[in-house]
Amino acid sequence: MWKSVFYKEWLKTRWFMVGYTLLGVLCIGYLFLTLKHSFAFTGGKNVWFTVLFQEQQFYSLLKYVPLAGGLTIAVAQYLPETINKRLKLTFHLPLTENKVLLQMQAFGAGCLLISFLMFGGLFTGFSLIYFPIQMVTNSVVTILPWLLAGFAAYFMIALIILEPNWIFRFCYTLIGVFFLTIYFNSAGATAYASANPVLFILTALLSVVFVFSAYRFRKGEV
Amino acid sequence: MIECNNLTHYYGEKLVFENLNFQVKKGSILGLLGKNGTGKTTAFNILNGFLQPTGGQCLVFGEDTQHLSPQAKARIGFLIEGHIQYSFMNIQQIEKFYSGFYPKWKSAAYWELISKLNVSLTQKISTMSCGQRSQVALGLILAQDPDLLILDDFSMGLDPGYRRLFIDYLREYAKAENKTIFTTSHIIQDLERLIDDVLIIDYNKMLVQSPVAEFRSNFRRFDFELDNEATELKKEPFIMNIEKVKNKVELYTFSAESDVKKYLDDNKIVVSNFAQVRMELEDAFIGLTGKY
Repeated sequence: MWKSVFYKEWLKTRWFMVGYTLLGVLCIGYLFLTLKHSFAFTGGKNVWFTVLFQEQQFYSLLKYVPLAGGLTIAVAQYLPETINKRLKLTFHLPLTENKVLLQMQAFGAGCLLISFLMFGGLFTGFSLIYFPIQMVTNSVVTILPWLLAGFAAYFMIALIILEPNWIFRFCYTLIGVFFLTIYFNSAGATAYASANPVLFILTALLSVVFVFSAYRFRKGEV
Repeated sequence: MIECNNLTHYYGEKLVFENLNFQVKKGSILGLLGKNGTGKTTAFNILNGFLQPTGGQCLVFGEDTQHLSPQAKARIGFLIEGHIQYSFMNIQQIEKFYSGFYPKWKSAAYWELISKLNVSLTQKISTMSCGQRSQVALGLILAQDPDLLILDDFSMGLDPGYRRLFIDYLREYAKAENKTIFTTSHIIQDLERLIDDVLIIDYNKMLVQSPVAEFRSNFRRFDFELDNEATELKKEPFIMNIEKVKNKVELYTFSAESDVKKYLDDNKIVVSNFAQVRMELEDAFIGLTGKY
């Protein structure tokens, strides 16, 4: 039955996934085109200097790309469920309500993970052409909170969209914005290195909060 | 199949119904009738576990509807008011999607109904007319082959042809396969073609649950004209409703003609053109619940 659930989720999200993946690839392509340009016109020494000693993040263009992914996939997945209260159809499927919800969430989070791994792979691969592995590792450590923010945004949007009451939705939105700012607090390279495990746990905890909205929907809260 | 005991629900301070009790027996087709706002959709939502009642309990297949098991849900075909379905799917995709959930899935039943529509296999449900969507929703329920069908206002948005197609298909299917149906519709003529039993609710309470034929034969309407237009008609317990326009009166009761005549005599009410009028289900429903 999980195949059927995934099939429905795929039908809802596929074009958004394709669009988002293209956007991510284009961003990475543009990023390294610009970097190549800098290497050619200002010289590798200057680029290395700005990255190493001025802590310039040549990859700052990617900062909000994961966040955009989380928002896009969550809206594509959960908005159609709330139009005309179609979530009733989903809850009527012969599965326990939490099981079907978690399968839907697993699909969305899985899509994000695949796209982030692809972006991460492209980024790392291209970066290694220009920088040594230590610098690339630092870049990845810096990018990691942004990727986690993508997941956090996805989980929070699910909570907000499935919530049946507008006042609750508003409150969740405020809480969501507060949570998401945590992931973008510092602009310094590797500033989050020690905080990443905490952010990871926080994001993992957020992954189940949407079940509460769905529970309220099922109880007929308005 | 369905048993609701002392069902009570409030929306905030507003009482929808109180201590509602009813059963739906296996193989029967029960129609729930009530005016707008009397709680029909509320009852359907409670039955499907989408609303927690303030009090009381509903059981379907012996299970509390607030905690239906996947096995019980597989045995219930549910039509949401307005024939809501996953409109981002096309008719092929939606069949493929649902077929993965039900071991007894009967594709042929779905495709037989779909073949009557002038649509392509890749047409999205969102681009279909309401009538076509109703056939898709019905086809999916028939393919699911449930033991119990819960249909919330199946007439909504349908033209007369589609309504007739829907009802005829449904009744033939239910009778041939010994299925149980619990349904409502705002078009009572449609329900009359479909249902065996009727459950009528009014604000806060249940008025009638009985076979349609029994209700129609026991519930009577008497028309007469008052000699004096100013005569006040006292409402006694045996009178369910009185509709008076100038000197013309419609009196609705479960009692016999002799009781009505005795009431008129006892109250010294002089009338002319006294007659019992035959009623269709819709007339009887309006007579029982009133026009307002």
